[in-house]
Amino acid sequence: MKVPVSWLRSFVDLDGMPVDEIIDVMSLNGLEVEEILRPGHGTAGVRVKRVIEREPHPDADKLQVVQVTDGDTETELVCGAWNFEVGDLVAHAEVGATIPPQQAGGEPFELAARKIRGVTSNGMLCSARELQLGEDHEGIIVLPDDAPLGADLTDVLPVGEPVIDVAVLSDRGDHHSILGIARELAAILDTSLSVPEVPVPDTDGAVDLTIHASDGCSHFATWAVEGARIGPSPWWVRQRLAQCGIRAINTVVDVTNYVMLELGQPLHAFDLDQLEGPELHIRWAEDGETLVTLDDQTRELAPTDLVIADASRIVSLAGVMGGAETEVSAATDRVLIEGAIWDPSTIRRTSRRLNLVSEASLRFERGVDPAGARRAVARAVELLEDVAGATRGKFDEAGGEGADRGSVTVDPGRVSRLLGVEVPADTQRGYLERLGCAVADDDGSLVVTPPSWRGDLVRPADVAEEVARLHGYERIPATLPDTRVVGGLTRQQRAEREIRAAALSSGFHEVTTRPFSGDRVLEGVTPSDGRVSLVNPVAKDTPYMSPTLVEGLLGVVRRNVGQGRPGVAVFEYARIFRPAGDPIEESLKAFGEGWRWHDHDERQLPTQPRTLGLAAQGAKAGQGWLDADEVWSPYDLLAVFDEVAERLAPPDDPTWQLERAAVEREGYHPGRSAVLRLRGTDVGFVGALHPVEADRRDLPEPVIVGELLVEPLLEHLVDDVAPVQARPLVTHPALTIDVALAAPEDVTYEDLAAAARAGAGDLLDELWFFDEYRGEQVGPGQRSVAMRLRLQAPDRQLTDDDADAVIAAVGREAEVIGATLRR
Amino acid sequence: MTDLAAVAEEALAAVRTADSLDELDEVRVRYTGKRSPLAEAQSSMRDLEPDQRRELGQAINEYKERFQDAYDTRHAELEAAELEERLEEERLDLSLPPRRVRPGRPHLITQVLDEIVDAFVGLGYRVADGPEAEAGPFAFDLLNIPPDHPARQEMDTVYVDDDADVVLRPHTSPVQVRVMLEQQPPIAVVVPGRVFRADTIDATHSPVFHQVEGLLVDEGVTMADLRGTLQAFARAVFGPGRDVRLRPSMFPFTEPSAEVDVSCGLCRAGVGAADPDACRVCSGTGWIEVLGAGMVDPFVLDACGIDPDTHSGFAFGVGAERVAMLRHGVEDIRHLYDGDVRFLQRF
Repeated sequence: MKVPVSWLRSFVDLDGMPVDEIIDVMSLNGLEVEEILRPGHGTAGVRVKRVIEREPHPDADKLQVVQVTDGDTETELVCGAWNFEVGDLVAHAEVGATIPPQQAGGEPFELAARKIRGVTSNGMLCSARELQLGEDHEGIIVLPDDAPLGADLTDVLPVGEPVIDVAVLSDRGDHHSILGIARELAAILDTSLSVPEVPVPDTDGAVDLTIHASDGCSHFATWAVEGARIGPSPWWVRQRLAQCGIRAINTVVDVTNYVMLELGQPLHAFDLDQLEGPELHIRWAEDGETLVTLDDQTRELAPTDLVIADASRIVSLAGVMGGAETEVSAATDRVLIEGAIWDPSTIRRTSRRLNLVSEASLRFERGVDPAGARRAVARAVELLEDVAGATRGKFDEAGGEGADRGSVTVDPGRVSRLLGVEVPADTQRGYLERLGCAVADDDGSLVVTPPSWRGDLVRPADVAEEVARLHGYERIPATLPDTRVVGGLTRQQRAEREIRAAALSSGFHEVTTRPFSGDRVLEGVTPSDGRVSLVNPVAKDTPYMSPTLVEGLLGVVRRNVGQGRPGVAVFEYARIFRPAGDPIEESLKAFGEGWRWHDHDERQLPTQPRTLGLAAQGAKAGQGWLDADEVWSPYDLLAVFDEVAERLAPPDDPTWQLERAAVEREGYHPGRSAVLRLRGTDVGFVGALHPVEADRRDLPEPVIVGELLVEPLLEHLVDDVAPVQARPLVTHPALTIDVALAAPEDVTYEDLAAAARAGAGDLLDELWFFDEYRGEQVGPGQRSVAMRLRLQAPDRQLTDDDADAVIAAVGREAEVIGATLRR
Repeated sequence: MTDLAAVAEEALAAVRTADSLDELDEVRVRYTGKRSPLAEAQSSMRDLEPDQRRELGQAINEYKERFQDAYDTRHAELEAAELEERLEEERLDLSLPPRRVRPGRPHLITQVLDEIVDAFVGLGYRVADGPEAEAGPFAFDLLNIPPDHPARQEMDTVYVDDDADVVLRPHTSPVQVRVMLEQQPPIAVVVPGRVFRADTIDATHSPVFHQVEGLLVDEGVTMADLRGTLQAFARAVFGPGRDVRLRPSMFPFTEPSAEVDVSCGLCRAGVGAADPDACRVCSGTGWIEVLGAGMVDPFVLDACGIDPDTHSGFAFGVGAERVAMLRHGVEDIRHLYDGDVRFLQRF
């Protein structure tokens, strides 16, 4: 709501309070100030002049040469407008004057004497748009005859005066008017408010009014006028409309808009002679009915729409927009001003359904003062008498302004206790009365009857807020609650931090991406066709919630490659999305049910497991000096996942290790991809992008991505998990031996390492892979894998004999899987 | 017969001039080894008369002693010199960049979320979590936002195409509902999490952002408690000495409701008038709008099975992006979502 400060001051006694202070008062007391506008700001040296002569420009058809005077001095200038006569008063920007910036953010424009086709123009005559007094740029401003000749225009019209734009809170529809804002300020500042007196009607019978839909309309009032001059409104009306962002149309329409801004009650003006009957019926529309609205659109109506009809047809879409056929035109003689109280949710529904939002619908759907229609209609009639020379006719109404709002009983002690500050009952009562409430005392309780315009005050909590607001939030002290609770992170929550730590310590940076995706995605963990689709996606090409973290991470990789980085490693820890019942649930439910979310009716929501995603591309160390040639490999990602599994899995239980199985997937390198299994269930994936896929995405190889469902590992981390137990440290020194096993290529390292472990038996403390060899010494199709074993025994010092025995045993185990021990 | 005395002079000279431990060893062999004048003298002993033998024996002992003394001295000198030489060779230019394995950095938003969460954990709060694709009633209805409430439109919710009423949660508040439905007071939880709005991406808007929701419900919780708690939060996250200011506002799920400002840490003053040139952070007002808060609306308590006649509570919601941008001078919210490593490494 745009609030011109001068208009505000005419309603509430602000005692010359500076604008900055008004703004502070507003924003500290529940009137949120969006910005301060100053339409016309920058205008200086524009004066009221009289046109004393005009003649065609000797050298240009569309221009004329004009002489103006301020009573003493005559000035000659060139003008492109034709909407004035000799004798009219106009706004002359003299040489040296400034007018507001003609583009947003620009500087005020200074006028100089300028030759136009051989005639010197000493300044210019201003249009409304040039001075930001409205949209009109068809002609120049013609001022009323009583404007003081020679006066500075800023003394005649409030050009450049401040307008405060207030963001109206959704429960405060009453703030959609100057009166509403003024009333609020008067209550806050405890100062006086002056509401315009309006005429009281004394005759009726201009139209027959019938409300057929009483659940949609509580009050309907009309007042007829005759002989209204339909034409441009006076400048003071046009300027206030302009300040509030509304276009001036003609006297009648402008007056209805003016009253709407002033009092918050939208009005409509019918050409009374176009109404058949004349009678008006307020009813629900029927299927198939249509109406051509003021914007010349044909609207298909529905039975949920409220309409106003005359004896034969629909003439207005209630509360949203009037009909074109009964619109006030230049030929109109008799005007019927209509104001009504419509049901907010009906107006909201119609406005949404037709995607038609008007100043009227905006106010009706937030609720207008149910006792405001008669006053607004009367105010409009009074203004039409004033600005359009109209004569008042007959007043009619149906329905009524309604009974008082229900009362709310509040315990003032409880209000004080809720706020944490003692506000005496009398003080509370005073605050509420300032807001227009009627307050009665009932044995210590306050019985509060809110004023008609405060539909939001229905419960004690609402009243408590009003007390707090008028008392001042700033007077509430700061204390800490004495609630006795124990806080802290759960084991699961601590584990989630460990997951991040594992990825970070391996050199992966954390990223956050937007989890939206398109039709084609590179699949990560347990692929499926299941997609969670969005009704109103943020972008048309990403209509789904991401079923994997891979695409988001590749987007980040792409960005960094584009930026010229030689390599990048990133991770994201977030939820991925699949519809309920998706095959991914097979991977999750093997470990528990904690990942499932349900709605209020115990229906399962989309599956959205927490997932760790990794991506690495290119050089590992970047510009490092000792490992400049090293690049990221799938092993780096596998290492992070193993670390995560190790940190989160139950201790000393080898069945919780991640197992890998080679896999071929679309988009991935057939020899560098593996699924990760936990206790036989697929929970993860690591793969290098296929060269063709990497090339398609314009990413230099290697590009490796991986994903791990974390829910299975979190699942068992309930708070009573048995803590890890210390193991006795062997005091005898360890013995280190190396063994190399040669085997056909299809025997995996995992099998060879298992053979070595079996051979070493209980003596094995730790085992490392350290070399791989292919070549003459092992023959074609074979490779040799070298491992280092550290052996120890709790009860004795190991000898060379022990080493020999282990080597022999490893040799025997190797033979079982088709490998041989190299000596 | 060899004149050991003469040989001794020669041997000692050779020891003293030996240039390396290897050469010294050669000298030792030459003058005391199997074919040395010493060995010759020893082997000649058995042919001598006892008197002569005693005399020679003394000479041999004297020779051995003198040689050993000289040898030990020289050996120590050469060993020290060689160690010195090795140390010189092993000298490193320690101004070279260290061989640093750079760990990754947690995302700025994670850092902010963890920091806020830790501050509240210190005040006795637990941490709660909920789904991001959330049931409409939890996101709206139970929070006192009925279907035709204007706030529902204002939130620009993204809706999931589902038979049931499912939305991408536009705030973390549904987790309040889930907690209250599961647990009786006293309740003190914070909820860090990702939320969604149908916003177009630009420098200040993101369809995805993060909030931390806080909820405390007990008997006799006051608005003063809310203020004190938010002040503790402001000081933990923005720095000591910060103050908070509450301004009346409207949220469907709280009553009374407040917008909460934190005092500006850059200009530390507030020059009075709003002037963008006066302070980059607060435009000279001295206050920065940081979060929304209020006393839990009785409707919400009641809808979640808590008696509003015996219990009260407060709730607040902080935008993590806003905190991060304000505190670290991030001018474009997109930087938080682009994953440019230069940005990530900075924090």
